Amino acid sequence: MKRQIQALTVFLLLGAIKLPIEEAATHHLRGAKLLTKPISVSLRESLGQASFAASLGGLRSLVASITYLRAYREWENINWAKVDSLFQITTRLQPTYFNYWDEASWHMAFNAASSYLYNQDINPMLRGKLYEEHVQRGIDILKEGLLFLPDEPRLWNSLAEIYARRVHDPKKAAECYLEVFRISHNDRYSRFAGYQFAQASDRESWVKGYELLKRAYDKEQRPPSVIDELKNLEDRLNTPPQQRIPDARPKMEINHGEVGPTQ
Amino acid sequence: MKYHSFSPARIWTLAAATVTQLVRMKIMAFLVVFCVIVVAAGFAFPVMNPEQQLKLLKDVSFGALQIFSVVIAIVSTALLLPRDLEDRTLYTILSKPVPRYEYLLGKLIGVLLLIGAGLVLMDIAFSAVLWLRQSLVLAQSIAALKQEGVATPEALAQLNEFVGKQGLTWNIHLGVLAIFLKASVIAALSLMISCFASSTLFTVVISLLVTIIGHGQGLIREYFFSEGMNQIMKKLGSALLAIITPDLGVFDVLDNVINGELVSAFSAGVMVGTAAMYVTGYLLVSHLLFVEKEL
Repeated sequence: MKRQIQALTVFLLLGAIKLPIEEAATHHLRGAKLLTKPISVSLRESLGQASFAASLGGLRSLVASITYLRAYREWENINWAKVDSLFQITTRLQPTYFNYWDEASWHMAFNAASSYLYNQDINPMLRGKLYEEHVQRGIDILKEGLLFLPDEPRLWNSLAEIYARRVHDPKKAAECYLEVFRISHNDRYSRFAGYQFAQASDRESWVKGYELLKRAYDKEQRPPSVIDELKNLEDRLNTPPQQRIPDARPKMEINHGEVGPTQ
Repeated sequence: MKYHSFSPARIWTLAAATVTQLVRMKIMAFLVVFCVIVVAAGFAFPVMNPEQQLKLLKDVSFGALQIFSVVIAIVSTALLLPRDLEDRTLYTILSKPVPRYEYLLGKLIGVLLLIGAGLVLMDIAFSAVLWLRQSLVLAQSIAALKQEGVATPEALAQLNEFVGKQGLTWNIHLGVLAIFLKASVIAALSLMISCFASSTLFTVVISLLVTIIGHGQGLIREYFFSEGMNQIMKKLGSALLAIITPDLGVFDVLDNVINGELVSAFSAGVMVGTAAMYVTGYLLVSHLLFVEKEL
């Protein structure tokens, strides 16, 4: 009996000592991005008991992969609501894996939005509304993902593409491309931001666009599109002739079989 | 020959005998199942993007590794004492000048050796399939880029980076180390439970329950430390659970290792230290329970 009391005492002492050690270890490993926050209890209903237990039992990544595959299957069945809800679970399970956010947003802003827009069975008024709602859903998904991964250039790039190609808001697209440039230091994205600012309707944006494209031009990055856009902006900004770039406006037609304009 | 109260040679003999005993139980048959799972996962879902294909292979393989290690840790440890009692081996061993703590230590080391060897073999098989899949995926993606006429050095470098991050790295093996550490804690815990358990089933069920609760320790601790809670009973309950169960979530670095996060030497040290604390503590409690136990 004496030994059993001793065992119980040691066990409880160990329990008391381990609490702060566990807390410190968890804190360190979360700081090193090796541990993610525990999953929310509210996910239990969406996941089901078995999957919730599995994800608690260290198989979170595997459960996320399974819900991802289920979403993939629903995509093939063109069930957009289910695709969205399954991706929501997937991103909740693994919020630090950028690909899930990126793909979830792509499905909503591009696939689902276009699917509704071109669906002849739906009332035209409703089609436009559904298109806009799904594009906005794609934006919201990326914005949520950026809360977890603020320095993920691929998420910023996807957001820029949605603003540029789906919302047609070049200023917001340009800001996102600038974020990609800030993180990746890849000059290509600075040029993309410049092109987008050039598409805007206000003078202030044109000035910003000109500065970015001129910077690329000064770094000897002179594809025809840069020269052409600089020429357009010089016209719009009424730049004095002596301050304009000396190049002639390039031929921008795309011949059959080519992937870009000829220089 | 002089008698020593602590003999590594005796412990090693006991550990080796335990490994032989477990191998005879055909526990390692799981290895074959694992290899089939890894190969199937490696070549399934070819329509997904390259990064996702590799991630899925790692998810499935690590999932199988975890299940193997946890099941073996619980079941084999739970079986050891009752089996030795049933076979009367325990009486033969303890009638010799073998201290009981050496017997416990030998048994635990035997289980850990078996789990470690199994994990190493599975890691080798998994690494080979991952490397093969990575090479195939890379070759296919480069060919696709060339076919589309967009195989610029920039695009190729980006592709290499993506696939490299999801492919075979040394970091993967540190993930396997984390699985081993978790299994060590669970094995020590099961050994402790089996020292006072009335049956093998009791040990298996309780160990499994504690393992599940141990994975939710993060949630329990957050609940325990939350400021808004004023129900004393709930708070006491969560505190008790946090005290009696180990935090197995500390070893759940796999999710992020799969995503390509690097495990530093210090982080690996933190995990090893935490596991050592649990194993030492549980062994001490096991010794106190077993030392005067009537057999």
